[in-house]
Amino acid sequence: MRRGRALSCLTVAILPALVEGGKEDLYAITGARVITVSGPTLEVGTVVMRDGVIEAVGRDVRPPVGARVLSGKGLTLSPGLIDGFGGVGLPAPPPRAAGGSGGAAPAPAPSPSNPLAPQTMALERLRPSEVVQARDSGVTTALVIDREGVLPGQSVLVNLGGDEAEAMVLKQPAALHLHMATLRRQYPSSLMGTEAYARQALYDAVRYRDAWAAYEKSPRGRRRPAYDAALAAWQAVLAGTQPLVVTGQRENDVRRALALADEFKIQVAVAGAPQAWRVAPILQARGVPLLVSVNFDPPRAASFGAEDVEKERREIEEAERNPAELHKAGVPFALVSAWAPDFLAGVRKAIEKGLPREAALRALTLDAARALGVADRTGSLEAGKIANVVAWSGDPLTAEAEVKMVFVDGRLYEPEERPEPSPSPSAGATP
Amino acid sequence: MTRRPPAGSVGAAVLVLAAAVQAAEEPVAIVGGTILTVGPQGTIEKGTVVIRDGKIAAVGKDVTAPAGATVIDAGGRYVIPGIIDAHSHTAIEAGVNECSDAVTAEVRIADVIDHRDVNIHRELAGGVTTVNVLHGSCNAIGGQNAVLKLRWGKGPDDLVFEQAPRGIKFALGENPKRSNFTVPGVRRYPATRMGVEAVIREAFEEARAYEREWDAYGAKAGSAAAERPLPPRRNLRLEALRDVLDGKVLVHAHCYRADEILMLIRLAEEFGFKIRTFQHVLEGYKVAAEIARHGAGASTFSDWWAYKLEAFDATPYNAAIMAAHGVTVSLNSDSDELARRLYWEAAKAVKYGGVSETEALKMVTLNPAWQLGIDGRVGSIEVGKDADIAIFSAHPFAPDARVEATLVDGVVYFDRARDGSAR
Repeated sequence: MRRGRALSCLTVAILPALVEGGKEDLYAITGARVITVSGPTLEVGTVVMRDGVIEAVGRDVRPPVGARVLSGKGLTLSPGLIDGFGGVGLPAPPPRAAGGSGGAAPAPAPSPSNPLAPQTMALERLRPSEVVQARDSGVTTALVIDREGVLPGQSVLVNLGGDEAEAMVLKQPAALHLHMATLRRQYPSSLMGTEAYARQALYDAVRYRDAWAAYEKSPRGRRRPAYDAALAAWQAVLAGTQPLVVTGQRENDVRRALALADEFKIQVAVAGAPQAWRVAPILQARGVPLLVSVNFDPPRAASFGAEDVEKERREIEEAERNPAELHKAGVPFALVSAWAPDFLAGVRKAIEKGLPREAALRALTLDAARALGVADRTGSLEAGKIANVVAWSGDPLTAEAEVKMVFVDGRLYEPEERPEPSPSPSAGATP
Repeated sequence: MTRRPPAGSVGAAVLVLAAAVQAAEEPVAIVGGTILTVGPQGTIEKGTVVIRDGKIAAVGKDVTAPAGATVIDAGGRYVIPGIIDAHSHTAIEAGVNECSDAVTAEVRIADVIDHRDVNIHRELAGGVTTVNVLHGSCNAIGGQNAVLKLRWGKGPDDLVFEQAPRGIKFALGENPKRSNFTVPGVRRYPATRMGVEAVIREAFEEARAYEREWDAYGAKAGSAAAERPLPPRRNLRLEALRDVLDGKVLVHAHCYRADEILMLIRLAEEFGFKIRTFQHVLEGYKVAAEIARHGAGASTFSDWWAYKLEAFDATPYNAAIMAAHGVTVSLNSDSDELARRLYWEAAKAVKYGGVSETEALKMVTLNPAWQLGIDGRVGSIEVGKDADIAIFSAHPFAPDARVEATLVDGVVYFDRARDGSAR
């Protein structure tokens, strides 16, 4: 499963032994076009990475002694893409897993059986071998959470490199999640039930906090409160140290998320949000971190009658225009996969529907990092930030651009060989 | 499809004014129409209604439009209070029922309003200005309803009828015991009418205990901080039921049969609360005196029955008989489609049972307003009330009557000419 290590790209073909050696990672990519995102784009520049961190970015930067120097001629460097909300690295859903890609690996853990378990950690189900496809497409960082359930647990923010899940972690737990979804055959089975469930859970969490606070203050003579993993899981949200990410498909789910924020004085982020553009002024005014899905046609409940089919079609079209409209309204957001089968195809669709490509790249890098609260360490090509860098054969996010190299924490991964290898790097770089 | 209004072209006049009225703080005058006030002023021929700040400022024959007022010419038209639908499921997003439990008093329709539901506009086109959006009838005790004003184009929170008392849905009979329909999953208690009663009784026993628990805590709350106990767990379900016991929440009970109606009256009186309305209540005519004595209203269908076993022993005289026994009766839609022509539903009460035209019109205006606890604000054209008004092309009971314009808080939210031309 370590395809990324078997280097074959012509640009770096002379280096496999060194990389395999795994000593200090010190790289300099020279002569590349460098899209820093946070600053101006350098038409010809050099990026130096040392020990997992970007050491220098600039026109006149010289490769340090001992660096593995890679020619970036004809390549465009961008920050590694961030998929700020989705299922990267989680075992494929059962139907696909049954198709047999697991090899000798242990069978994937089943989906969490309890759809109302905020204590569930996505990290525990994360499998490093499952991130290759995302990384090969240029994604270096992902927020990972289960798709199913109403309270699916806590997400983890990971870099898509390394052999162990723990080594990938940027932030654990990253956020607590509430899907504005419903359950079959059990409470909550309606949206209003989901609302009520969330409010009751938060009130219970407040009481749990107060009960423990009272006990800690004077334990003598009191019976200690019973430990409750689910209520304990809410505490960071109540304390304001962790956001509650509310996933919603409807315009008013944004309002519902904000109503929860107001009632319980907690920080919320909104994920999914295919109709978010309708409430752009509210989002603008509240500065809500926004994780906008490019999964424009997610599987949905069976529709009844012609009217629903028509409505569905309009909703898909609206979702495709949503990123462009948000951009026009000046609302910053992250573009996220939300379990889309092909993340970047969704991004290209958003671009096709009017989102400027530079804005899309920003939404996949620096603005995504901001929405996730990690812009101080990643999201742009700047000295001091995490060395997550992608080398493209052309303009990033175009259909033609191939990912030639991916650096995650300063470690080089090369995408799997494509069916038709380009004859030379310069030919591949021609747009 | 859009026929132009006949001579006089009120529609056109409204069209011109609509934009101004939408935004204006300035007064509005509806001039020259036949005003069916449904209030103490009765019917006023060629009268004027003056609206200031969304409220009715003057009504009468000799009232003149104030200077600077936006004038709506209602000559040859009928001006009536906005219609109120006491049983609606309009504008609910993602689930009318929380079916997973027999008691779900904690869920709130107000949390799931879809303000873009086109039925809001369609109902405005039927002269409806206020709807009582109820939880479904899946559960013996369902969720809390939302009373909405149909301020089409406003956000979900802006639709909520401010200061309307809270309310809750109960349901008796086939639906909560699930013989009328099934829901996938484990078969849920109750499965009989006896079981429905037991579920409600048990829920209120719990609510009483909950109230006692909080009262006991309240008694100690004054003590020194160190000794102060932790407050009891806040239980949103029992909290809503406690508020029913305290008379703060109006109970709207879906029912059909006389026996279950009597059961609920006995149960409510045992626990010391009132049923505000019996909904559907097709056998209400059998126990009209008992309903009146309890002080409940009845919100029924005009002539819709036999769609299930418990709805067989019905009569279109139901509304008239209950009204004759002193019950405050309304006629409701329970349907986004029927809601658009409730005025004809009211007309049927004249045909079946000889209810007077005014009393029949009350069944879709003032009576449902009382049932929702908002009769101080809406339901009749009276000075001081909200300017929720429908302007009809003819008497609302006439077979060719249609709504030309509908105002909520003095704002034109439906204008046949304007909205028709925008299609």
